[in-house]
Amino acid sequence: MALITTKKDKHPLGIYVHIPFCRSRCQYCDFYSTTCKEDKLIDGYMKAVCSHIEETGPLAPNHIVDTIYFGGGTPSFFGAEGLATILTAIRRNFDVAGDAEITFEANPDSVSDNLLRRLRAEGFNRVSLGIQSDDDVILEQLGRPHDYAQAVTAFQRIRKAGFDNVSVDLMFGLPNQTMNTWMQTLENVLTLKPDHISCYMLRLEEGTPMYDIRNFLRIPDDDMQADMYLQTVEVLKKYGFRQYEISNFARKSKLSKHNMKYWTGGEWIGFGPSASSDFAGKRYVCVPDLKKYVTAIRNKGQVISDISELPIRERAGDYLMLRLRTTTGIAREEYERQYLLPFDPLEEVLRRYQETGHVRFTNERWRLTPEGFLISSAIISDLLLEQDKSEPLAKRRFSH
Amino acid sequence: MTELSKIRNFSIIAHIDHGKSTLADRLLEECNAISHREMENQILDSMDLERERGITIKATAATLEYTADDGDTYALNLIDTPGHVDFNYEVSRSLAACEGAVLVVDASQGVEAQTLANTYLAIDAGLEVLPVINKIDLPSARPAEVKAEVEDIIGIPAEDSPEISAKNGINIHSVLEMIVRDVPAPSGDREAPLQALIFDSQYDSYRGVIVYTRIKQGTVKPGMDIQMMATGAKYKVVEVGTMSPKGLIPREALGAGEVGYITASIKTVADTQVGDTITTVENPCAEPLPGYRPVQPMVFSGVYPADGAKYQDMRDALEKLKLNDASFVYEPESSIALGFGFRCGFLGLLHMEIIQERLEREYNLDLITTAPNVVYRITKTDGTVLMVDNPLDYPDPMEISRAEEPYVKISLIAPQEYVGSMMDLATSRRGDFKDMVYLDANRVELHYEMPLNEIIYDFFDALKSRTRGYGSLDYELIGYRDSKLVKLDILLNGDIVDALSFILFADNAYPRARKICEKLKENIPRAQFEIPVQAAIGGKIIARETIKAVRKDVLAKCYGGDITRKKKLLEKQKEGKKRMRTFGTVSVPSEAFMAVLKLDED
Repeated sequence: MALITTKKDKHPLGIYVHIPFCRSRCQYCDFYSTTCKEDKLIDGYMKAVCSHIEETGPLAPNHIVDTIYFGGGTPSFFGAEGLATILTAIRRNFDVAGDAEITFEANPDSVSDNLLRRLRAEGFNRVSLGIQSDDDVILEQLGRPHDYAQAVTAFQRIRKAGFDNVSVDLMFGLPNQTMNTWMQTLENVLTLKPDHISCYMLRLEEGTPMYDIRNFLRIPDDDMQADMYLQTVEVLKKYGFRQYEISNFARKSKLSKHNMKYWTGGEWIGFGPSASSDFAGKRYVCVPDLKKYVTAIRNKGQVISDISELPIRERAGDYLMLRLRTTTGIAREEYERQYLLPFDPLEEVLRRYQETGHVRFTNERWRLTPEGFLISSAIISDLLLEQDKSEPLAKRRFSH
Repeated sequence: MTELSKIRNFSIIAHIDHGKSTLADRLLEECNAISHREMENQILDSMDLERERGITIKATAATLEYTADDGDTYALNLIDTPGHVDFNYEVSRSLAACEGAVLVVDASQGVEAQTLANTYLAIDAGLEVLPVINKIDLPSARPAEVKAEVEDIIGIPAEDSPEISAKNGINIHSVLEMIVRDVPAPSGDREAPLQALIFDSQYDSYRGVIVYTRIKQGTVKPGMDIQMMATGAKYKVVEVGTMSPKGLIPREALGAGEVGYITASIKTVADTQVGDTITTVENPCAEPLPGYRPVQPMVFSGVYPADGAKYQDMRDALEKLKLNDASFVYEPESSIALGFGFRCGFLGLLHMEIIQERLEREYNLDLITTAPNVVYRITKTDGTVLMVDNPLDYPDPMEISRAEEPYVKISLIAPQEYVGSMMDLATSRRGDFKDMVYLDANRVELHYEMPLNEIIYDFFDALKSRTRGYGSLDYELIGYRDSKLVKLDILLNGDIVDALSFILFADNAYPRARKICEKLKENIPRAQFEIPVQAAIGGKIIARETIKAVRKDVLAKCYGGDITRKKKLLEKQKEGKKRMRTFGTVSVPSEAFMAVLKLDED
């Protein structure tokens, strides 16, 4: 066994920074953020995140950070200075790989040339731009603080600033949307030539303003949404986008390395209120309140609101739920080796869905088809049910 | 023993929500039977279920010591009564243990259906009925008008009735004084042979059955050999005493006029049926008290554990429940669809719901219940007679020469403006009109004869909604009559689900089959394939619905921060699947079985 740990042996690690500030709140959003922009608050927050990073760095001496993701909230609204300062803190306290993927989320109304140039210079190399729709009426209804023209300008600015890995977020299943208008939106956005597209079916989350008025919105029904989804997959394929997750499509190799960590059991550490981490076998969440978070950091108090060491069965459930979101899918050998649970009962379920065209089996891996992704919750919960009932392999061997 | 002249035995009767239990609480408090600190709201209704539904299911009793304005101390025996038509018999037995009834009337609502129904029960039992006007502190209170209503409609004097607020403890004292003054003291000869009425009993794991009784004649003491006149069961008395909200208080003896309890190492409540008379083995009384009726379950249904592995737990739970409730019966049965379970018999639908809820709550069981069923009498072509309480036992139509179903005589009472809608309801349920009686200028009583089957589902609810809550219902069994019956089968994805089969009147088959198919369509989750839902009589399909294949069931977003939350959603979905029964390839949630029972709700 090697006594010296070389950089090559280091474990990959993702870092997520939550920027809980927005210009305004979108009508469908249930993420944690605030619309207040007092300089004092922003400055206090930046300092808190930096000290949190400083405290945490020493815990990961054998890790190499290969992805960093600034999400929100609206990182672009937070400003270049703040983002750059936090990134510097990360570099100072963690071992960051030279070719690390460093992403920030941006909204069309808060990307200036200055901001983009500065962030590019700091080493940011990927942008995720929230466009959502090309229809200004819908954008207003969603409570987005921009119109489509601004989105187009923003995209062009991002390219001009030298970002060669740009993703756009779109939504479908929106009020008054038809198959035609959605296809038109998709075609329009594709003319921008993004490298990556995330297409989300609108989901009304309880507690959001849109949820409360859902009965007054003319939202396409489930069958229509399903058709829209399948059509989306087709069109994007035609344009050279490979689907790699339920809602994510990438050209060439431009899939989000950071997000892939979430779905393939990678490790990551999150900073900021409500940010989650999965690190050293534990999953934990930072307190989901800006002021409490800042105060806790300042007073060296309790920053973590919820922590658990996941038992192996729980991990096995996560494996099914998360891997099946991706086109990589799941494999018998992987599953039995990692979780010591039998794959046979799962295979029975998978075969059933294979017959109905929801699952395919290629290269020794089970994957969901686009039709399967559409009912993935049903399939995964069926698998979880079988998993619950199954006896560990070792136990079975001993009893024979 | 308390001197006869110092005893008052009374019940409180009221329409639901008029404040019966609250008044009971206040009386206990006023007599210091229980301190304010110990006061848990509505202490007499001790079952969770009762407190939640605001109804009294089991009768309970308590003795209050009250020193009246005349300086004497009285023993006031408060006997609480259940308040639903399913338990009319139990109510009548509780009332038979009293000399008076406090009639609580809401000062803004006035006289309502149950006020009347209960008042008539009390008057029939020969009780002195004493009105009390409650909730006088409400802005909408109109005590004077309500008193006039009581006098007009019920015909009992109410001019001097106490005006109280049970909730806020106003004028409670005057209620107690009224009870002392106006409820007749009991009579009886304490030297006579024992004659004691059982008005309730309860199983206690340490003492065995605790029998709640009103001594009509004679005296009972520990050591005596007693026997139940109807069931014939014999026991030696271990302890006698009186009830207080805090527990049982042993006494040396209970004598005529008193209300109290008897324990005698009795193993099962089935030996101590409500309405039965207790006497002594040595010196029995000449005849039992009038009014006893053996328990007769009217409604049967299959009850199954949602999780088949819980069968044994369910058996244990039923055994325990049965210890405490002599009015329900059960025996094991099995179904192809649901596996092993029990055929249970109940007094009525409310009783059925109560038993189910108790099994679910107190014993932590998930249940699946099949459609309730009355007992049909089927004569086969070979002359044999079958009593069929289970659709699975229904013979092939070719073998049936005669089918009969139980009929009841029902009495409906409501203000006259609802006569039309009550008649519509009764007619739509195959009611055969008998007569109509004006009880007074405004109130009408209708008599119908109709199949019991027509009232066991939701008749009471339908009556309530058509009469804005004023209608009241009473019924009694009058025997079997010829009928045209069919067995309706339900098919899911082409396979008969035996647990969904039921017997019904042939002319009702088409509309009911359609409704059931609709309900199942609503309640069975869409699968990845289309599911036909069909209803059939003897192989002939008479209704059909199709459950469309599900096409969208997906969590579009799931990133780091969402994993735990999204996992919970999937776990919940998974747990839901555990509650489903799979028939071939179709999963049916237990709610679907309940939903087909409530066809007329909308």
